[in-house]
Amino acid sequence: MRVENDGGEFFDILLDRDALSNISVMPRTPVYIICSPRPQVGKTLIARQLSEFLRLQRGDVLAFDVNIQEPSLVDYLPRLTETAEIDDTYGKMALMDRLIVDDGLAKVIDLGYHAFDEFFGMIAEIGFIKEAARSNVAPVVLFVADSDRVSTRGYHTLRETLPPNALVIVDNEYVLRGDLPETFMHGQLMRVAVLPAFLKSYIERLTFSFTNYLRTEKDTSTELHQWIRSNYFSFREIEQRLAQQQD
Amino acid sequence: MAKPAVIVVGADKGGVGKTTVSRTVLDYFSANNVPTRAFDTESPRGTLKRFHPDITEIVDMTTTADQMKIFDTLNTAKASVTVIDVRAGLMSPALASLRDIGFLDAAKSGQITFAVFHILGPSIASLDEIAETANFMSGAKYFLVKNFINNTNFFEWDQATYNAYFRKIKDATEITIPKLNEMAYEQVEVSSVPFLKFVANKGHKNESANYSFVLRGYVRHWLANVWSEFDRIKLTDIVTSKEKASRASAK
Repeated sequence: MRVENDGGEFFDILLDRDALSNISVMPRTPVYIICSPRPQVGKTLIARQLSEFLRLQRGDVLAFDVNIQEPSLVDYLPRLTETAEIDDTYGKMALMDRLIVDDGLAKVIDLGYHAFDEFFGMIAEIGFIKEAARSNVAPVVLFVADSDRVSTRGYHTLRETLPPNALVIVDNEYVLRGDLPETFMHGQLMRVAVLPAFLKSYIERLTFSFTNYLRTEKDTSTELHQWIRSNYFSFREIEQRLAQQQD
Repeated sequence: MAKPAVIVVGADKGGVGKTTVSRTVLDYFSANNVPTRAFDTESPRGTLKRFHPDITEIVDMTTTADQMKIFDTLNTAKASVTVIDVRAGLMSPALASLRDIGFLDAAKSGQITFAVFHILGPSIASLDEIAETANFMSGAKYFLVKNFINNTNFFEWDQATYNAYFRKIKDATEITIPKLNEMAYEQVEVSSVPFLKFVANKGHKNESANYSFVLRGYVRHWLANVWSEFDRIKLTDIVTSKEKASRASAK
């Protein structure tokens, strides 16, 4: 399912198509894992935006919803999203055997808080990171930080499991409401600004699309327009860093 | 030149994982470039031969001809290490045969390296097996293998009783084979390839295979744990000890 290319200058700048087309080697297949061991920190919101961004930038994306106990990505992007479970070996095979394939199709995983320990325990046990490197697959974990002990422990687990360049800390202003704790001040950071309550309600509607909003809203100075652009630029930076690591 | 080494893997009880352990030993030697041959005494089926057909021969250890095939070729075979997967019920008779042909004396005098991997079963009968087997163990490296691969409720014996048996055997060493994910184990069984090839996603003739990445990951992790046990007991050093050492011990 490919998106119509609007060819607009704005999207060219936003998506940095020139830079991406200049990559000389075969680009790695990215696998984005949005996670936190805490509920209600905005994982699905990040996963939604990232999925829409990747669809816009790359033409297609495949998302997996491993998030049965929280608001679900599959409810927002049903045509792009499959549900997945990792409670048993069958479920793990169904998910992980697809993530390890270098098919050029970007993947996004919305990982529920309840599955955090199981998922990253499995990642370590089956050697996913090493196999991914061999298979030209680039895992990127977006960890949504919170100020409690569970988040700190989860963060340390990730630092032990992942190479530094595969971990991005998401500082969601709506969750932290203050400075990011120093524990998380290592490596890459993505800041997500807080939205006013009425805009938050607006984007939480199941029919809302971030990309459609950018396309259709002529007034680029609106708060929501700026907010979406800012987040899309952050995603673009992550993609660019991936490409640079490869070079 | 390394002196010949014989490793017997066995138990008097069936279904405790003798062949599985033999397979891990063969994979371990293969990975460490130790030339190895194997004999499968599960005549005529030969489960070990199914996984390692190139280096395995099926024999009937109760016949003199096949005993000669194994032991008269120890010094002439290309492989310095011989692994014998002894089928259920044949462990004690096999050791008695080895004693009768003078093999155990040769091991005692250091001419041959001899090691026994005794796979323990879940029942108290295994304790009696230990006592029985121990009678043959002078001059051998004796390893008691607790095999948890199928996650059976092994070793629910009274620990004090087990320790009392264990202490009776001088220099016995325990090895623990950890649990392997059931689906991963089944998939390797179905594939009929060595664990190493399964991990490498290869078929019998090194052709590319299409095994699940997740299951390969589980097997890789499990095999690394098993091999760390073999590293701990310095298995490679045991089977590659030189003639010089044997002469010294003979003196």
